[in-house]
Amino acid sequence: MRARVAGRWALTAVGAAITALYLFPIYWMYASSLKSPAELFRSPPTLFPSAIDLAAYTWIFTRENVLRYLANSFLLAGTTTFVTLALAIPCAYAMSRLRSRWVDGALLGVMLAQVLPPALMVTPIFIMFRQLGLTNSYEGVILALVTKSLPFAIVVLRPAFLLVPQELEEAARVDGCTRLGALFRVILPAARTAIVVCAILVFLMTYGEYVYAASLLSRIAMQPATVGLYAFIGAEISDWNNIMAFASAFVTPVIILFILMQRLIVQGMTAGAIK
Amino acid sequence: MGSSASPAVPSPARTRTRFTDSDALLPTLVAGALIFIIVFIGYPVAYNLAMSFQEVTLGNIRDFARPFVGLENYQALVADPLFWPVLRNTSIFVITNVVLQVLLGLGLAMFFLQDFPGAAWMRGMILAGWILPPLVIAAVFKWLFASNGGLINEALMGAGLTAQPVNFLSDTATAMATVTFTNVWFGTPFAMILLSAGLANLPRDVFEAAQIDGAGTLTRFTRITVPLLMPTLLAVTCLCTIYTLRAFDVIWGMTGGGPANTTNVLPVWSFQLSFQQFNFAQGAVIATMMFALVILVALLYIRSIRSELRA
Amino acid sequence: MRITRRQTLALAGAAPLAAPALVQAQARTISLWHVFNLETEAYMREGVRDWNAQNPNQRIEERIIPFAQYRTELVRAIATGDVPDLCVIDNPDTPSFAAQNQLTDLTQRVATSERIRASVYHTGPWSTAQWRGRTFAVPRDSNTIALYINHEMFRAAGLDPARPPGTWPDLFAAARRLTSADGRVSGLMFSARAAEDATFQWLPFLWQAGGDIDRLDGPEALDALRFWVECVTSGVSSRDVLTVSQSEGVNRLISGNAAMAISGPWDTPRVSQQARFEWSVAQLPVRGEGREIHASGLGGWNWAIPQGTRNADAAWRLIEHMSRPEHMAQSWRSGRLPPRTDVPVENPVYAQAFRAYSEQILTARPRGPHPRWPDISRPIQTAIQSALTGQAPPDVALRTAATAIRPILQQTPLRG
Repeated sequence: MRARVAGRWALTAVGAAITALYLFPIYWMYASSLKSPAELFRSPPTLFPSAIDLAAYTWIFTRENVLRYLANSFLLAGTTTFVTLALAIPCAYAMSRLRSRWVDGALLGVMLAQVLPPALMVTPIFIMFRQLGLTNSYEGVILALVTKSLPFAIVVLRPAFLLVPQELEEAARVDGCTRLGALFRVILPAARTAIVVCAILVFLMTYGEYVYAASLLSRIAMQPATVGLYAFIGAEISDWNNIMAFASAFVTPVIILFILMQRLIVQGMTAGAIK
Repeated sequence: MGSSASPAVPSPARTRTRFTDSDALLPTLVAGALIFIIVFIGYPVAYNLAMSFQEVTLGNIRDFARPFVGLENYQALVADPLFWPVLRNTSIFVITNVVLQVLLGLGLAMFFLQDFPGAAWMRGMILAGWILPPLVIAAVFKWLFASNGGLINEALMGAGLTAQPVNFLSDTATAMATVTFTNVWFGTPFAMILLSAGLANLPRDVFEAAQIDGAGTLTRFTRITVPLLMPTLLAVTCLCTIYTLRAFDVIWGMTGGGPANTTNVLPVWSFQLSFQQFNFAQGAVIATMMFALVILVALLYIRSIRSELRA
Repeated sequence: MRITRRQTLALAGAAPLAAPALVQAQARTISLWHVFNLETEAYMREGVRDWNAQNPNQRIEERIIPFAQYRTELVRAIATGDVPDLCVIDNPDTPSFAAQNQLTDLTQRVATSERIRASVYHTGPWSTAQWRGRTFAVPRDSNTIALYINHEMFRAAGLDPARPPGTWPDLFAAARRLTSADGRVSGLMFSARAAEDATFQWLPFLWQAGGDIDRLDGPEALDALRFWVECVTSGVSSRDVLTVSQSEGVNRLISGNAAMAISGPWDTPRVSQQARFEWSVAQLPVRGEGREIHASGLGGWNWAIPQGTRNADAAWRLIEHMSRPEHMAQSWRSGRLPPRTDVPVENPVYAQAFRAYSEQILTARPRGPHPRWPDISRPIQTAIQSALTGQAPPDVALRTAATAIRPILQQTPLRG
């Protein structure tokens, strides 16, 4: 018994080492954001900031209005995730239950829909959205973002629905459920792991998206944080302090959200295994 | 697919039978998303395809009726001395990335699925790598890998492992490996989290039965885990392939395709042609080529899921 | 707002330009695209602020696009027809846009302007705004490159920072003494990355050697490329010159990982803020050994009015506002040089660097101007990269570039 406990803690140690090694570049980003401009470029570099310098944060919060950028990011990513799932869940479910050449064709189409990088997609999308009066509106950007996330969600959710035993669904229907009723009462709970993970990934994917938001929204007050961040990264002059501070401010709320939601995610991840 | 009848009303007679493809609700459910995809993704795709057969300049990019030139753009691109090197770089970059991301992702997913304190937390933290926009990752890694003043070289030299700095990004022999490393770092959490979800969904009773039968860890992995996980594994592999093929920012931010085009891949070249050389048509030809490549991958995927076991 | 109105016009089938009432309604704001987002860009910020204070009924609606994405966004604007009223364009790109009819011809406006005349501009910047004898843009600022040097490292190596290297052999000898044995400190950083930076930084060496773009297969070009190759293969320049931008090269100087770095005045505010050592800016060297040609590259941004805006009059007034000599005198605070000859610069903040760059820019030559500049620059970048990596000997690399460029120059010769 004691050996087993020790073994489990040994695994924790290994896991912690892997995580620390993996997260080092992110630590480096945080550490750099807190250094003074002089220390930032010290050679050899310092592993820990010798003194905490918040000048870069003061700048990005006061002059760059990071909070407004972040609020816009959350609004865009949240709505996009919702719309994506609303479209993807029924589609992926139906594709997992149908068996015909049409579905194979549709799946091929869904795969192909992801090939072009946004940099090549955005010009034609802009032309189309201008005709529809969707430029400079959140609706337009959300639609564009859904073009990126919807095919992804379908591909991820379809195998998850395949794993839900058809017997469960049949049992529900014998009990008098409609197919849609069975989808909501049986299938979705059974596949919630995959749905939660898919939602997280879509959210993060959208949160980090730059191209569509930058091209479709020209008004600064509407733009998400990636646009503000890339303004520093893509500047003629590499202003490291501000880049690192902005990037840290960009990631932090998501990490906090993650920690707050950890319980929910863990439940989702293990629930499937217990069933 | 077009028949959009009202949802099937369950009758006692029908619920007894297995659901059939004639059920009109299912095609309707597929149709919603599919129409969206056809309208909003089909148009940009057609736009790019059309450009690849036209003469496109800054002067006529606003028009739709542009001179048709047949396969001229395709011939010019194939004749370009960069064509084969870029294709080779792309294959190396994509294959190495997909293999490493899926294997490391699977390894990490299985490791963190074990029952030990903090496992779920750590798995969640690792996903943080995937939150950062790729251009930020490129900037941070470029700095870490710098020849003089870069933290990795300082560490290597401090530990006495090398007397002179290693030119990770600026040596033609190591640049591709360095951008690949960075992209694997970026992409692995994505594979890991999807595979974690897939693993968590596997029916546990099968494993318990196998354990009672005395099957070893390796046997359980190859005989049960892998076959059961196959649909997810295939989907993840396919997604990783597509996302690596279109990955642009990491390489762009770290090397810009250099040194001497040793890290130039299809999306980078396409961007250079379209937006640096204003050669929009050849940029579009590359997009079409990427399509052709993905059709191959997707056909393989669809072929393999055809033989997939249904619950 | 604007888009809706445009759509209404399209639906009504009205000829937009023939409706003066609507033109009036249009002119409530001026849309302006530029790249100047950083803290130090007071030159742009104050110009906008002053205009908005003086013209409350016609405020500037700014869209700031990162430098790295700027050209892409401009192309997209043209492709979609959704152009700004006024924008800045990097000077080597200006002829490309002008030759493809994407910019408004400003010749008439210049002819009647009291403030903007060819005679008050330096000829270099002015020439980048011309195409086939017509004016399509107005220079906003100029820049050039010179040599940042770390005085403490100079002294430690027994060199006199007051007498910076004047010729290539001097530069190489100094760089060699400044390079540390363990490779942590490079004597000289420059940028040869796979981008316009490489061309911009190498052309001065080509010109100093007596060569030019139309003679890339000549001995002068070979001389210039060999010098760079020697810097890299001997280790006095880190191999990272192949991947760093000009600004990142300066980061190496600031961090003490390079003793000299070639870059422009845009980095001066940052160097003066972050460097913890005494530094100065020196002129680029000459070839020496009988060739005393002073030369550097000319960079900078031009103002241009895209074709298709209906707000051209207001945009022109805004260009005039931004071209006031007293406003341009402030450009130095943002690390830019005034392109006009009549700008009184008093007490520039970074006096030594300002003097050095003001002197260096007299030797600066524009790139092109040529409508296919990207197609000329790209083979040069390739030649530099393949020679520095050792993939091709310098002469072979240059012959390849010359072969690629020749038909382009035969079609349209270099101007300016």
